[in-house]
Amino acid sequence: MDLYLPIAEVSVNAPLLVALGALVGFISGLFGIGGGFLMTPVLVLMGIPPAVAVASMANHVAASSTSSVISYTRKRAVDFRMGGVLAGGGVVGAIVGVELFRWLRLLGQADLVVALSYLVFLGVIGGLMLVESLQSILRRRSGQPPKPRKERRPPWLYGLPLKMRFPRSRLYISVIPPVLLGVFVGVLSAVMGVGGGFILVPAMIYILRMPAGVVVGTSLFQIIITTSLTGVLQAGRNQTVDIVLATLLLVGGVLGAQLGAKASSRFRAEELRALLALIVLLVGLRMGLGLFFTPDEPFVLMTGMG
Amino acid sequence: MALEIPSPTAPQLTASPAAVSAALTTTEVRVTSSFRGAHIVLYGAVFDPTTKPSDVVVIVRGPEHPIRIARKTKVAGLWVNSRPVVFRGAPGFYMTASTRPLQDIASFGTLRRLGAGIDHLAINAPFEQRTETRYGVRDVVVSRLGGDYLDWRRAVIRLKENAGLYDADDKGVTFVDKDLFKAEIDLPTKAPIGTYQAEIILFQDGQPVSRKVRTLTVEKAGIERTLYLFAHHSPWLYGLVSMALALGAGWAASLVFRRN
Repeated sequence: MDLYLPIAEVSVNAPLLVALGALVGFISGLFGIGGGFLMTPVLVLMGIPPAVAVASMANHVAASSTSSVISYTRKRAVDFRMGGVLAGGGVVGAIVGVELFRWLRLLGQADLVVALSYLVFLGVIGGLMLVESLQSILRRRSGQPPKPRKERRPPWLYGLPLKMRFPRSRLYISVIPPVLLGVFVGVLSAVMGVGGGFILVPAMIYILRMPAGVVVGTSLFQIIITTSLTGVLQAGRNQTVDIVLATLLLVGGVLGAQLGAKASSRFRAEELRALLALIVLLVGLRMGLGLFFTPDEPFVLMTGMG
Repeated sequence: MALEIPSPTAPQLTASPAAVSAALTTTEVRVTSSFRGAHIVLYGAVFDPTTKPSDVVVIVRGPEHPIRIARKTKVAGLWVNSRPVVFRGAPGFYMTASTRPLQDIASFGTLRRLGAGIDHLAINAPFEQRTETRYGVRDVVVSRLGGDYLDWRRAVIRLKENAGLYDADDKGVTFVDKDLFKAEIDLPTKAPIGTYQAEIILFQDGQPVSRKVRTLTVEKAGIERTLYLFAHHSPWLYGLVSMALALGAGWAASLVFRRN
């Protein structure tokens, strides 16, 4: 059944989009990420204008994150205080990001920045996660005890001013690193059409040293706040949110997210991380490598504003 | 038989008793949620007391929007977009259908005056143009795109053709009976919203002798129209409503799953 989207102005196969939403929602619930990094490239490949895909994704990510966060809250696995601090930075980042994206489209360079961001961020994070998770899988297979987690936290985290207690995360650290992290992820959410979980989750584990149990829930909580704002800003400033597209995706997305959250308890953490790393790496390469190949068609039309 | 009074832009038609008339099967295309393009048939008749050989050319033009186009260039090993160039004068949809190839029907100059044929469209990049004095000649129009200018113009047309928006069918007008002809117009899903003009020109001896214009509107209808207007007239409210729907759906799903 084909459906004409009022804002994207293209005709799409509705059941296919619902299924896609469900698949990405499942991955989202399973790994505790928004899933935007996967969905946005797929939508663009399907012929949705990139500006509309990036903007409408914010709604989908917000919906599937809400659905997962409620499950995590029941398990007391959300550090609301840390999430709030991250979101404070995220709000600033989202506002900057939406304006930045608007400016890049005017310059005609939005495609380049989006492709490069995917290549660099997904490539680096996917690569690092893959190495780390494979090492811990190998160590467990060979019967060695898991590498003791470094208890000594980086000193700079403690040297900074404006310290705050985060009881749920058992941390007493400066708010500056989480706020900066929030700003950075907020900008990415507007430019790349992602929630930013793939950056937040590793950053919370390796930089902020939060306990693994609260990382996913807290990351999703921050993503809801940032993407809600991004979605409203994209609609208000750029008129690029397609409500029909977003609804089709989120119908599948929220259901998939619930199933994914349930399934996640059946897998080992490092196996899940290895799988996620592989997906992240592949998407990054798929999006970014196009920049290196000679294009078949050297000219590109910029629909609407870009 | 009276000739239709030509519009100011239309070339003076040669005085001839021959005339052409035509009608479209659909004059209003409604873009609804099930829109997948439209197929419109144009029927027409040639009235000619003499038996001169006649040719019919149908030109359909969609609403014009400026086009932004960029060229990919290699910078430090990466293919990046150049500065976008704005082209004007390119219709959002353009199709010609004729009984024979256009160049066999009329001379280059006649076709150029009528804007008949993709090669004769007045597509140009006004912002790239400036006038200067060259070799002592004043007001020479030069394009900043330089010698590549034709590559750019050709690219605009090629990309539109690939999207199914530009088409030239030199067997597109077929005579179903002695004086009755038919042409088919295929609007793709990507056809722009707005008013289209179908121009039907009758040629005899390489000259246009009769011309008719029919209009066709493509507009969003029903829920598509409501949502489009909502998104553009009150974008902030639209953004809030769509986000509220998203958050509500997420919350509802978690409630449903909790009961299970």
